[in-house]
Amino acid sequence: MIVLRIATGLFAAFVALPLLWLVYAAFLPAEALLMADLTTLGFTLQNFRDVVGTGLFSSMAVSVVASGTTVLAQLALGLAAAYAIRNGARVTALVLVLLALPSELLLVPLYRLLQTLSLIDTLGALIVPFLASPLVVFLLLQALRRVAWEVVEAARIDGASEAVILTRVVTPILRPELTAAAVLAFAAHWNLVLFPRVTTTEDLWTVQVFLSNLLRTRPFEWGLLGAAALLASAPILVLYVVFEKRILSTFEAGFRT
Amino acid sequence: MLRSQRHARWLALPATAVFVLFGVVPLLTVVRYAGWRWSGVSDPTPVGFDNMVRLFGDGELWRSLGTTAAFAGLTIPIFLVLSLMVASAIYKTRLERFVKALLFAPGLVTVGGSAIAWYLLYNPDFGVVRELTGWSLPWTTQPFAALVYVVAFTLWQQTGYGVLVVSAALRGIPTEVKEAARLDGASEPGVFRFVTLPLLRPTLTFLTIIATVLSLQSYTAVYLLTGGGPFGSTRVLGFYLYETAFERFELGYGAAITLFVLVVTLLVAVAQALALRDRGVGRGAMAGDA
Repeated sequence: MIVLRIATGLFAAFVALPLLWLVYAAFLPAEALLMADLTTLGFTLQNFRDVVGTGLFSSMAVSVVASGTTVLAQLALGLAAAYAIRNGARVTALVLVLLALPSELLLVPLYRLLQTLSLIDTLGALIVPFLASPLVVFLLLQALRRVAWEVVEAARIDGASEAVILTRVVTPILRPELTAAAVLAFAAHWNLVLFPRVTTTEDLWTVQVFLSNLLRTRPFEWGLLGAAALLASAPILVLYVVFEKRILSTFEAGFRT
Repeated sequence: MLRSQRHARWLALPATAVFVLFGVVPLLTVVRYAGWRWSGVSDPTPVGFDNMVRLFGDGELWRSLGTTAAFAGLTIPIFLVLSLMVASAIYKTRLERFVKALLFAPGLVTVGGSAIAWYLLYNPDFGVVRELTGWSLPWTTQPFAALVYVVAFTLWQQTGYGVLVVSAALRGIPTEVKEAARLDGASEPGVFRFVTLPLLRPTLTFLTIIATVLSLQSYTAVYLLTGGGPFGSTRVLGFYLYETAFERFELGYGAAITLFVLVVTLLVAVAQALALRDRGVGRGAMAGDA
């Protein structure tokens, strides 16, 4: 047991190190790097000033708009679909198959499809293909399976319409799972790299495309890279820290049999 | 059945429409595009089975299949062992919540930012490891080291998911079962080996299949960390597909490679499912409710 715990501790340290370093490097003065002396506890905000004008903020704006819109649609369509499946609609197999097919694999046919729909190089290319998410449907369905169905039946007998049941009865019960699914779906969309790279050009580059380009074009500017990476990670880190408990329990419960 | 319940089924329509248009349609049309010569810009020319024939003589493709197999073969066993080890080690301890939260974080944090953090730490020329220890990590020059680097990054990102899934399964094992084994005189390793592990098998089967499917298809880590190098040593199938279609602008041949990846994925997943079922494993964790 002791050996297992030590190994677990080492692995946890391995996971934590890049995350901590990201924060540290963002505040490290350029001199500390030039002198190759990382032990000086330097502190500077210069790196963040350097980020201004690189285009980080406009690409973050693109990402926030695209991922935000996508997630709202994914929650609405996903909740409706999960509720329909719980009522007997037979699309579970489709959801499970698509859960195992990342969009980056279907990049070629999706590219053609988006061309046909005249969506290439528009914000729509980043949103429309992702309006529904198999992961969101799956998590909400698993959550709905734990809901005591008498509540819904009772509402039906009282004459409530399905729309009312969905918005007034089911939504409040599922609020924790909806929050968790929202954060997971936001992260999944926010973290797409190759899809936005291929389907849009520079004006619409998302934050991931921007970061991967920055790493290629300015590989020696540590502080700048660190600050840009930290700023780009901040929205998700904040969401994660706030909702961590709900996210983990929803994810775990989704896979409990 | 109430009439309203039948109405409720129609609520699946919007999501299903999106899944069909952007999931099923690309899966079907890719077959047609695989018969095209097409740069992505100009109009496509039908070339029949040329691309399919080319697949079989494409040494680079078969080499990348080998690379993918090596990548999956290294990643998946370590992923399973780590998930099992961490989930058991933290089960019902005070640190459980903290460790889970920590391990899950890399999967959510901005992936481009993660790539930068790894670059700053492990860059062979001026990374932190080099500065502090003087040891220049060999992943930019040595093929195998580069593969290990991509494997390490993938494990760093994904192990949290595995830990959560195993942990959920551990919670599903009734304590009475383990208590009974202890009363019968089983040691702790014995309880793990003969009670916990067999009960976890459906979960481990599920994780193995999902991890295999995803590792055959994914290439974002390769794109961000090594760009397929050095000397093509990390050019996994997905990355070869990306390069062919969107850097050399051969989208028709890219479609043929997509088809190849899909067929390989399907064959491997089916073979795995059958092999694991033959060894007495019942329903997968998810198939159980589906």
